Amino acid sequence: MGRTQSDLLDMESKVPWHSRFDLLGITFLIFLGSALGALPSIEGSGRDLNYLGNLSRFLSQFFPPDWSILDRTLSGLVETVQIALVSTLLAILLSFIISLGASRNVAPLWLLWPTRMLLNMIRTIPSLLWALIAVVIVGSNSLAGVIALTFYSVGYLAKFFSETFESTDLSAQSALKSLGAGPLQAFQYGLWPNARPIIWSHCLWMLEYNIRSASIIGYVGAGGIGLHLKLYAESAESWNKFSLVLLCILVVVTVLDFTGEKIRYAIRQKLEGSAPNKS
Amino acid sequence: MGKTSLLRIISRELSPTEGELSCPLEKPPFQAMIFQDLQLAEGASTLTNVLSGSLGRHSSVKTFFGFPQIEKKQGLALLQQFGLERKSSQWASTLSRGERQRLAICRSLLSRPTLLLADEPVASLDSQWAEKTLTTLHDSQLKKGGSIVCSLHDELQVQQFSNYILRLNPSDPSAWSWEEPNPIS
Repeated sequence: MGRTQSDLLDMESKVPWHSRFDLLGITFLIFLGSALGALPSIEGSGRDLNYLGNLSRFLSQFFPPDWSILDRTLSGLVETVQIALVSTLLAILLSFIISLGASRNVAPLWLLWPTRMLLNMIRTIPSLLWALIAVVIVGSNSLAGVIALTFYSVGYLAKFFSETFESTDLSAQSALKSLGAGPLQAFQYGLWPNARPIIWSHCLWMLEYNIRSASIIGYVGAGGIGLHLKLYAESAESWNKFSLVLLCILVVVTVLDFTGEKIRYAIRQKLEGSAPNKS
Repeated sequence: MGKTSLLRIISRELSPTEGELSCPLEKPPFQAMIFQDLQLAEGASTLTNVLSGSLGRHSSVKTFFGFPQIEKKQGLALLQQFGLERKSSQWASTLSRGERQRLAICRSLLSRPTLLLADEPVASLDSQWAEKTLTTLHDSQLKKGGSIVCSLHDELQVQQFSNYILRLNPSDPSAWSWEEPNPIS
């Protein structure tokens, strides 16, 4: 009220010079500095290679894609999606239980830290390594893929779930307790409805991610389309088949990305309230 | 000290910094509070939000797979009374502020409190709904011999609906005063 422009300019000039070096600014500078510092240690082979020529010669073998193997590729893709579906379902069930142990507002401290450590350990192992371990144990088949991706996903999903439980608005839960509801009832009807949409968004994201992962774990023998990739990459004159497989994966992943994004956006909108007359 | 703190002390959510809370009854009455910030389950349907007011009457086993039919009937009747029956399957988050306030009122009414504490229950309602709501709250508590402690700003509403008025003075608690309403003729 009644503030003139020169007043505002005055205020602006009183902002101390170091105020722009907040957490964001400083971490960005550290990142930029270390990335530039790392440049000299990135070396090539030292030989004088014609990079562009190599690339164009290699890529030209990809075209045109060999459509004769489309049927085989599609059935491989179906298997890939099936592996992703089953492993995501198993991971959701396991993660729900484990995440309760990793949520600060649910679990006691003696349970919290061991659970979080366990999840950290699971996340340290990349999906391809889980696949290798599973293949060694159950052999080279799609069961290995399911086991590998289940373990891999639990590391992430349980973390997401527990973060959701921790950040969910607890007021409805305590309101129900004050109306006489028991702890389980207050959780089921107060906290869970607020957490459920976000948890489902995470599940959809994980399903997308698993379909992408399931396309590669076949490379080490854990079922799915990855096995086809490996075969074509290793046999002579098959890069045009390889490129068809890549193309099919690209289509599936793009469709998933698009629909997943749309669904998650709709869920978020609905939860935050999209009624036009909401004040 | 303000009205919200006073209501929270009556509901035993806060303890008084001075003095004590005493209750003339043998055991404290079953009470429900209409919160100023509503505290609804945003991702649950309107009907589920209302029905969760009845949780105190049923065991967790009984309500695990849903609510008893009789509660559903009463919940729907309440929604109808407050003009929300057509939104019964919508998420609470998609309702307007006024609708959410009415929903919070329905939920506390379904818990059938003897003592209903209401923190500005009509703050975001238009005058028509405000009057209808206060009438409903007043009559329903009167009918079952319960009482209601309600914080209000609007002088007309205060005079029209209260039996006793406690006028708070935020700067000076010694200036708080009890009054009887004098209906404006």
